[in-house]
Amino acid sequence: MLSIENLSVLIHRPDRQVAALSDVTFAVRPGEVVGLVGESGGGKSMVARAVVGLLPGGAHTSGRVLFDGADVLRMDEAALAAHRGRGAAICFQNPRGALSPTRTVGRQLVDRLVTHQAMSAARARDAARELFEAVGIRSPQRRLDAYPHELSGGMAQRVMISLATGCAPGLLIADEPTTGLDVTLTREILRQFRRAADADGRSVLLISHDLASIAEVCDRVVVLYAGTVVESGPAEQVFREPAHPYTRALLRSVPDVGGRPVVATPGGMPLLTRVPENCPFVTRCAYADATCATRRPPTEPRTDPSGDWSVACFHPQAGAIGGAEAPSPVTLAGDRGAAETKPAVLEIDDAHVVYRSRFGSGGHHALRGVSLRLAAGETLGVVGESGCGKSTLAKLIMGLVAPTSGSVTVAGQSLVKQPGRPRPRGRELRRLRTRAQLVFQDPIGSLSPRRTVADSIAEPLRAAGLAATERAARVAAVLDRMELDRAILGRYPHELSGGQAQRVGIARALVGEPDLIVFDEPTSALDVTVQAQILAVIADVTADTDRASVFISHDLATVRGFADRVAVLYLGRVVEEGPVDVVFDDPRHPYTRALLASAPRLGGTPAPDGAAVQLVKDLEEADATAGCPLAARCPFVTETCRSQPQHLQSYGASRAACWRVPELTALIGKQATTP
Amino acid sequence: MTDLRTAGPAEAPKAVRGSRDSRFSRVLIITGSAILMLVAAAALGAPLVSSWGATEIDPASTLAAPGGSHLLGTDSNGMDIWSRVLYAARLDLGIAVAAVALAVVAGTLLGLVAGYRGGWLDDVLMRAVDILQAFPTFILALAVAALLGNGTVNLIITIAVVNAPAYARLVRAEVRTQRELPFVDAAVTSGASTVGILWRHLLPNSLTPVRVIAPLNCGWAMLTLAGLSFLGLGVSIPTAEWGAMISLGAADVVGGRWWTSVPPGLALFVSVLGFSLLGEGLQERANAKRR
Repeated sequence: MLSIENLSVLIHRPDRQVAALSDVTFAVRPGEVVGLVGESGGGKSMVARAVVGLLPGGAHTSGRVLFDGADVLRMDEAALAAHRGRGAAICFQNPRGALSPTRTVGRQLVDRLVTHQAMSAARARDAARELFEAVGIRSPQRRLDAYPHELSGGMAQRVMISLATGCAPGLLIADEPTTGLDVTLTREILRQFRRAADADGRSVLLISHDLASIAEVCDRVVVLYAGTVVESGPAEQVFREPAHPYTRALLRSVPDVGGRPVVATPGGMPLLTRVPENCPFVTRCAYADATCATRRPPTEPRTDPSGDWSVACFHPQAGAIGGAEAPSPVTLAGDRGAAETKPAVLEIDDAHVVYRSRFGSGGHHALRGVSLRLAAGETLGVVGESGCGKSTLAKLIMGLVAPTSGSVTVAGQSLVKQPGRPRPRGRELRRLRTRAQLVFQDPIGSLSPRRTVADSIAEPLRAAGLAATERAARVAAVLDRMELDRAILGRYPHELSGGQAQRVGIARALVGEPDLIVFDEPTSALDVTVQAQILAVIADVTADTDRASVFISHDLATVRGFADRVAVLYLGRVVEEGPVDVVFDDPRHPYTRALLASAPRLGGTPAPDGAAVQLVKDLEEADATAGCPLAARCPFVTETCRSQPQHLQSYGASRAACWRVPELTALIGKQATTP
Repeated sequence: MTDLRTAGPAEAPKAVRGSRDSRFSRVLIITGSAILMLVAAAALGAPLVSSWGATEIDPASTLAAPGGSHLLGTDSNGMDIWSRVLYAARLDLGIAVAAVALAVVAGTLLGLVAGYRGGWLDDVLMRAVDILQAFPTFILALAVAALLGNGTVNLIITIAVVNAPAYARLVRAEVRTQRELPFVDAAVTSGASTVGILWRHLLPNSLTPVRVIAPLNCGWAMLTLAGLSFLGLGVSIPTAEWGAMISLGAADVVGGRWWTSVPPGLALFVSVLGFSLLGEGLQERANAKRR
């Protein structure tokens, strides 16, 4: 179907030259799902662009991209148009951005069918409905008349898939199709691609930075590093026993819900200016020797039953990734649980936050009665899917939004106007604000674009009224702790890499020695190996005993690394809360169970109590004002769940907001036997 | 398929869009700056390259044709056109730049406060700006000139008032998008004061469009100034000013004595062109950066 042979792409720019791809060779056969894995800058998207003939200006190519025997690189415009319409179709990373906002999704799909498939309008509409049904969109007839902004992210991605498959292309390319989606949705969407391959015999090229999450649906994976293929082979084998040190580093950089420690690989991907003469991974590789530095390893097949596994490395590794390989596990060894007696740094009591809609009545109820208490030295993990109120909770703690009812205090003081509490003003308030610091999700966006790094880090010290020399000394000290070079002080945010910017963000949070640091998804915008480096930094910071930390994440596994306690948030409510190991190994609430079951795991860490809870898919934004918030999606729902509000009750060491917890184990067993 | 592994010839390099744009913008910026520097040099060096004063009358020759002791001839009052065109550059350039600077400062301050505070203050300030913008430029200028009277300072104020609303709007729009970005939250939680946030974070990040528009605006300001003078609302008569000179010579042009009006007109044209090229170049460069 698709066969890429020795594809090299050199991009010439007036000020520099980039070797985007060097001798990339791999094939995608009909009915096969191939995963293209690697960090950003590795050349994944460049491969996708080459396949559909959309290389950027100034690109020099050599090698061939054969699609059904024809070389895409040598097609003229007319042949390319036909190739893009019926040969290969792309699903983009940002589905809502790829859909035209002013036309209904049904209309966009119908138009495409009429143009490329020469259907009549009425038949095209029927076909569109069937396509929507095929990708798991419920009530497709109604969805056809929806505008893109009326769809959730997962729904929009499904529409995108139906648009791409609508013209029956032989090859479906998905560029990071699940980035930004929740764990439960990610699984659903990935399964759609598997179906496209199995049911219709299509080839699928699945591009992702996350090997663990796509391994399950792929037949084979191709690992790219700095524009070179370092390893390719059967997905299951590569995932279980990766041979190339980079593949191993990639997998070990990702925290795992099973509690396997993260190992950070130092350094970053080199930007190649020409086809490399040596192994591009040499500077970061623990096994590198003189040969690796001078010669480029040839791609050699591995002894493997399928005979399809090849690695470009002089020192291929064998065996599964085990804990033994990890020299410095990033786990937190503090004394957990002793914090109860200390005074609370953060106290939230039955806080509600309602965002009033600007026009008329109504509004969005983001938090519905959250109570949390945190003492110095403690780290609280907060997990939940997007829209559960995580970010609102961060803003509430930081005093950026006021609670509609209830109260929130940091170090016993109130940062925003709230009923029945005095709020400090002026300089006192400014000083108090620096007691709680936030580390943002978007590391570069959280730095003022026209302020130098030195200025940004020193910001909290200004409020404290420190002299310039004192500020410079404090900044220098915190810079050392973040392992940043002094030279970075004079730079501007756009000159920083994501990892550097996040270190600067953490430095700014630390510099004023606050009582509380809130990490709001600090690694979700970073590359996998950079994530591991930043997580190591954060683990170090949260281990300080004189400070409390809140770590907010949609990724359960990152939280497990260093939180003492964890709170699971669902639609603005805490549904489960307890010590991190208890919640992860022995989850109580059906929602926690479902989340943990959807999280990808590396081999060797079994899921807790065998059978998993499957939530009913596609939540239709059920706004449960009475009763359990999960009632619309929970497979064990009863009338009691729908009518009675659920409060946190103690079950062993943790607390869960579900009255059926004692019966759940039996119920889950029944669900597994009668699917 | 296996024996076809010969590497294909490298494609001819396609034109790279980004680089062509940036080269184009550089040409524009350099040309514009060169023209403006020439005009500024002429203005400053007027006493060196002209033998007559700006308002010096040569009673011996009125409406003399170019040549002889008067390089570009004289006007109906016997004043040397070449000298006057050079001296006028001082006034025209000075007033235009000063007026735009004043407009930028006033408009930016208004926009900054309105954009950051929002609410009723935003509404009040922006409606005031709406009212200012609803008047045709010359009517507004007429009103201000009538209110404050003639004079250089008043002209600057007039032209600034006409131009300030645009900056208020630009900056306000920019601030409104900027203040939703995480770095503003970061400044708030770092204990920055409101003035600190406005001055150190929002202002430097909101000035990009202003930097692009201001040079273009200097060109327009010159035209406005010339227009006001032409209508008799600008400088008082003997003062050397291009618009006033064109106005003065208009009647003579009809009689075939083109040198009275054409040189100041050309000077005006060249200066405005300089500002336009500079502004366009800056705009191109800003666009290229955004891509």
